[in-house]
Amino acid sequence: MDPIISLNLIDYLILAAYVAITIVVGYALKKYMKTSEDFFLSGRSLPSWITSLAFLSANLGALEVIGMVANSAKYGILTVHFYWIGAIPAMVFLGIFMMPFYYNTKVRSVPEYLKLRYNEATRGLNAFSFAIMTLLMSGISMYAMALIFRMMLGWSLTSSILLSAGVVLIYVFFGGLSSSIYNEVIQFFLIWLGLLPVVYVGLKAVGGFSGLAAKLPDTFLHAWKNMGSAAANPMGVDWMGVVLGLGFVLSFGYWTTDFLVVQRTLASENISAARRTPIMAAFPKMLVPLIVVVPGLLAVAILPEYSLALPGSATPDYNSALILLLAHYLPNGVLGLAITGLLASFMSGMAGNVTAFNTVWTYDIYGTYIKKNMPDEHYLMMGKLATIFGVLFSIGTAYIVQSFPNLMDYMQLIFSFFNAPLFATFLLGMFWKKATPWGGFFGLLSGIVAAAGHYLLYKLNVIHYSSEMAANFFQAWWAWLTDFVVTIVVSFFTRKKAESELKGLVYSLTPRTKGSEMFWRRPEIWGSIALVVMVILNIIFW
Amino acid sequence: MPEKKSRSHFFDLKIPLGSLLSFYGLILLLYGLFGPRHIYEKSLGLNVNLIWGAVIMVVGALFLGFAHFRRRDSS
Repeated sequence: MDPIISLNLIDYLILAAYVAITIVVGYALKKYMKTSEDFFLSGRSLPSWITSLAFLSANLGALEVIGMVANSAKYGILTVHFYWIGAIPAMVFLGIFMMPFYYNTKVRSVPEYLKLRYNEATRGLNAFSFAIMTLLMSGISMYAMALIFRMMLGWSLTSSILLSAGVVLIYVFFGGLSSSIYNEVIQFFLIWLGLLPVVYVGLKAVGGFSGLAAKLPDTFLHAWKNMGSAAANPMGVDWMGVVLGLGFVLSFGYWTTDFLVVQRTLASENISAARRTPIMAAFPKMLVPLIVVVPGLLAVAILPEYSLALPGSATPDYNSALILLLAHYLPNGVLGLAITGLLASFMSGMAGNVTAFNTVWTYDIYGTYIKKNMPDEHYLMMGKLATIFGVLFSIGTAYIVQSFPNLMDYMQLIFSFFNAPLFATFLLGMFWKKATPWGGFFGLLSGIVAAAGHYLLYKLNVIHYSSEMAANFFQAWWAWLTDFVVTIVVSFFTRKKAESELKGLVYSLTPRTKGSEMFWRRPEIWGSIALVVMVILNIIFW
Repeated sequence: MPEKKSRSHFFDLKIPLGSLLSFYGLILLLYGLFGPRHIYEKSLGLNVNLIWGAVIMVVGALFLGFAHFRRRDSS
């Protein structure tokens, strides 16, 4: 098969400049890596504009971009639920209510909080499941990238994998989390600057937003209007599935307890910056549909492959929608920039996984179960080693994950096994002082088992849903509910921790710190504005 | 509780970011000015490289400008 896109000298120049600058930035950060906290948490010293963009960018990986363009070509405007209700409330909640516990307790990772609040077993369960999930995700990312670069440019799978893994290895090895964060910020600008031209030209071609709307069916144009029943909309999910499964469980589970994103907030220079991080990230987050949903809609309106008028004999390959659109409209030059944006988001997604993995591995697995109480340099060295074998392991995983039709659904599936129940454990841990250590452990365990059990029942056709996505959303909800109920029940029968041990870890036992900053820096103010803007957007696209 | 001042732990990210974007802007602009014309049939006759190159160059220059003033303030 001929590659879809042919690049010329200027495009390669743009790509090469990106690779060069990431390596230079990584290498330049090397001399600042003196302690393990410098390496794993950027010495808790970054300003909030950097951590906010990194917080957002860590999630704007290429899988996300390509998968969401695919989703919007398939489902239309419904895809905005992943950006608005499925992200904003959780990000605001993290900033206003949860950040003080993460940041002020000086924990270095999410599992470490679980150790302080519950017990060693709860931490172990979370640390191991997180480490496995992270490497899986990293492998998926790489495989997806290699596949797309082969289709797009004709590169072989192996050469894409080695190029991206090699560059990521170099910059994370030298600069740790700081490298990863700096590259995420660079990626943030590249992906926007790379995709806006195709949005602009595409919209011009169809005659603006109204021209676009005229070419699409009604179900593609409303976010809520057709959510009354699962059968009425292309996604096959009703409003309850979206609100409970995606908006509440999956979204809160991901944004507030996934260490990949939480790690970015821990790198902030002070508590106030840490609280502002997810809230300020909410604003650009709400705009992301402009560069992912609009291209998906444009693909349906313009490219014959995705036209809905065709009697559907074969399902089109939705994952190539974005690439075909880029090839259709962009001349060399800006084309190279768009490709570079995608490559950057592939790499930073992978780097994010690698840095989260090496931190959890070093602090929560190696430093807890294998070698305790070693000098700090030892852990710094272990972090660098973990970077190497994390990357190698991802390369291995990349070749394993190949049999799922829609990458995004697969990602949601993994999240709902591990992340969905976790939010119940955190919610009770932070806001209910009577939750006991073993309550936390058995709650979390049964939540994971419930998710896996539900998945099995669904696959065996015991439970039915109108779509795979509906199954994922409800699976997350049941896993969360199981965790929530089991934690409470077990807590009534097991021994509590002394209140003195829970100081700073539970809401009712933590003295409120009055914000000393000016009102325009208060997270509460910005959080409220973000929620209002979100509601308005939902009404506009109702 | 007084907040900890930034330790300015690392070098300023605005410098590499601004340099990269200025470079991109410049080469896209030049390519748009002196490169082939027929490639713009794809983009509905719009010289995207020229326009977008100029925009990116401004963004890059802003970052470099901010980095420059920040440094002067603190010295």
